[in-house]
Amino acid sequence: MITLPTNRDENWRYANLRPLTRARPEAVDPAAAATTAVSLPAPVAGFERWVFVDGRFARHLSTPSADSCATLLHAREAGRAFDEMLDAAIATEGVDFALARLNGTRGDEVLHIAPADGAEAALELTFVASAPASLGSSYPRVQVHAGRGARLRIIERHVSEGPLESFVNAAVDVALRADATLDHCRLQICADTSSIFDTLVAHVGERASYRLRNVVLGGLASRSTQLVRLAGRGARCELTVASIAHGTQAHDVFAEIEHAAPETVTRELYRGIATGRGKLGFNGKMVVAQSAPGADSEQSLKTLLNGTGAEASVRPQLEIYTDRVRAVHGATTGKLDDQMLFYMLSRGLDRREAQALLQWAFIEDAVSRLDCGPLREEVERLVAAQLHDVSHLDGLLSRP
Amino acid sequence: MSLLKIENLSATVGGKKVLNGLSLTLNAGEVHAIMGPNGSGKSTLSYVLAGRPGYEITGGSVQFEGKDLTTLAPEERARAGLFLGFQYPVEIPGVNNVYLLKAAVNARRKALGQPEVDAYEFLQIVRAKMKLMQMDESFLSRGVNEGFSGGEKKRNEILQMLVIEPRLAVLDETDSGLDIDALKVVARGVNSLRSADRGVLLITHYQRLLDHVVPDVVHVLARGRIARSGDKSLALELERRGYDWVLEVA
Repeated sequence: MITLPTNRDENWRYANLRPLTRARPEAVDPAAAATTAVSLPAPVAGFERWVFVDGRFARHLSTPSADSCATLLHAREAGRAFDEMLDAAIATEGVDFALARLNGTRGDEVLHIAPADGAEAALELTFVASAPASLGSSYPRVQVHAGRGARLRIIERHVSEGPLESFVNAAVDVALRADATLDHCRLQICADTSSIFDTLVAHVGERASYRLRNVVLGGLASRSTQLVRLAGRGARCELTVASIAHGTQAHDVFAEIEHAAPETVTRELYRGIATGRGKLGFNGKMVVAQSAPGADSEQSLKTLLNGTGAEASVRPQLEIYTDRVRAVHGATTGKLDDQMLFYMLSRGLDRREAQALLQWAFIEDAVSRLDCGPLREEVERLVAAQLHDVSHLDGLLSRP
Repeated sequence: MSLLKIENLSATVGGKKVLNGLSLTLNAGEVHAIMGPNGSGKSTLSYVLAGRPGYEITGGSVQFEGKDLTTLAPEERARAGLFLGFQYPVEIPGVNNVYLLKAAVNARRKALGQPEVDAYEFLQIVRAKMKLMQMDESFLSRGVNEGFSGGEKKRNEILQMLVIEPRLAVLDETDSGLDIDALKVVARGVNSLRSADRGVLLITHYQRLLDHVVPDVVHVLARGRIARSGDKSLALELERRGYDWVLEVA
C-alpha cells in the first residue's frame, strides 16, 4: 500500500499536491505516446543524446554513442539498489518517499549510466511528456553509478510536447565512487499546465564531487525532492537551484544534504522569483552527523516577490551533531529594490523592462553556475523569456 | 523659451518640507551651479526633477521645454531629455553596463521617433566616450557600477550622460569623492556636453569643480529656496566667506 504525501506533512507543506489526487497511476500506454511528431531542443555538442517519451526510450530520436556507458534496464533489474538507498534515507530521516516508490513500482525502463573507473562521459537526457494525465503518468527513471575517478556530465531536461496537463513522476539515483565527479544540470521546462514530481537520491563517496544544478521554470505543480549523502571523507556537493514561478505556478523543492563523513563540503544556493500569483517553496535541510568533524557548509537562499499574490517560503534548517564544523546560512525574501528600479527608470527604461532586468540580475548568479557547455546560453534565453520578451534582453545575454 | 523653468516650487520628503518656494530659470546653452550648505535641499531638488517616488511636490510648477514636468513618470522625463547624475550611483550586479547604456539610448531614440541605434555604431560611440572619460573597456561587460570605486561610479555617470546626450543634465555632487585628476576628467566630460541647445544644472558643495566647469550662473540654496544668485565670482566669495553671510541676508 502506497501512501501519498499531503500538505499536512511538514516537508510537503508548500507543494501543490492537487494533481496527485487526479493522476492516474498506471504508466502511459506506449500506443498513446507521441513518438514521431516530437519537437526536441537542439542537441548539445559533445553530448550523446537519449530521448524518452512519456518515460519510455525513443530510439529513433536518440543518438547514443557506440561505446556508451549507458544501458537500458528493466525496472526490476535496477530496483533493488534504488530501494536500498531509499530505505536507508527513510530510516535516517523519516522522509516520505511515496512518490519515488510509486515510480519504482510502475516504471518500466531505467537508464543505467555507469562509467567505469577513470572514464569520461557526457550525456544529454531529454524526457518528453506527451500524453495527458487522463491517459496515465510517465515515469522517467535514471540510475547513475560512476566508477572511481570517473568524470561525468549529464544534462537532464524535462519538456512537454504541447500544452498538455501531463503528469510526470521522475526518479534519479546517483552513486559516485571515490574521486568521481558529476556535473548534473537539470532543466525542468515542462508546459505550465503540467505536473512534475521528482525524487533524487545521491550517495557521494570519498573526495567525489557532485555539482547539481537545477533550473525550474515549467509546470503548474512542480515538486523536487533531493537527498544527498556525503558519505566519504572530503566528499563535496554544490547544489544550485534557480526557479521562476509565474501565473499560478507552484514550485517546491525539498533538499536535504547529510554530511556523514569528515571534511565534507556543501555549497547550496537557491534563487527563486515568484511573480503574479506564483508560489515558491525551498526547504534546505543540512545535517552534520557526529561522524563528520571538519564539515563545511554554506547555504544562501533568496527569493524575490514581484506580484501582490506571489508567495515564497524559504527554510534553512541545520542539524549539527559535532563541534568541529563550519556552517554559514542566510535566507531572505524581498521585493525589487526601489533604488535600483528608480535608477533604471531615470535612464528611460520602461518599468516592465526595468523590473525584468532586476529579476534577471537577481537570478543571474544561480544561472551563471550552469557550466554544462552550451546549455548555459539556452538556459539564459529560457530564463529571460520567462521574465520578459526575450528580444529585449538579447543584448544582455550576448556579452561583448 | 527656457529649457527649465521652476516657479515657487515646494516639496516634502517623508512629510518634512524641504523645498520652500524655489524659483529658477535655466536657458538652453547655460550651465548653472547650485551650491548650499548641508540640508538646504540640493539633492531633494535633483530628485524632485527626476521624479523619485517619495519626493512630493506640494506647490509651484516645473516646466521643461514648456511642458509640465511634474505630470511625467521618471522614465518619461528621461526620454524627454532629462538626465540625473546620481550622488550615490547604485550597483546592479547581473545587468551589464553596455546593456543599460544601449537600452537607455534606444529609449530616448524611440521617444524622438528615431530607429534603434546600430550595434556597431553604438559601440564606436561608446568607445570614444570611454576614452574621453579614461575608462577601460572592460567596464562595459561588468555589472552596472558593480565593484566600482567611488570615482569610477562618478565617471560612469558622466559616461552615461555623454552617450545618452540629454537636453538637460542635473548632476548631483558629481565631484564629491573625486581626487583632482578624476575631477578634471569628469569636468572634461561635462564640458564636452556643453552646447547651445543643452543645459547643465551642477549641484556641488565646493567651488573647485567650478574652476574646471565654469558656470554662467551660480545660485545659493538655503532653507529650500534660492537665497542668492550671481556669476562665477559668487562661488569664489562663498569659498572665502562660507555660507553664513548668505543665510544671514536670506
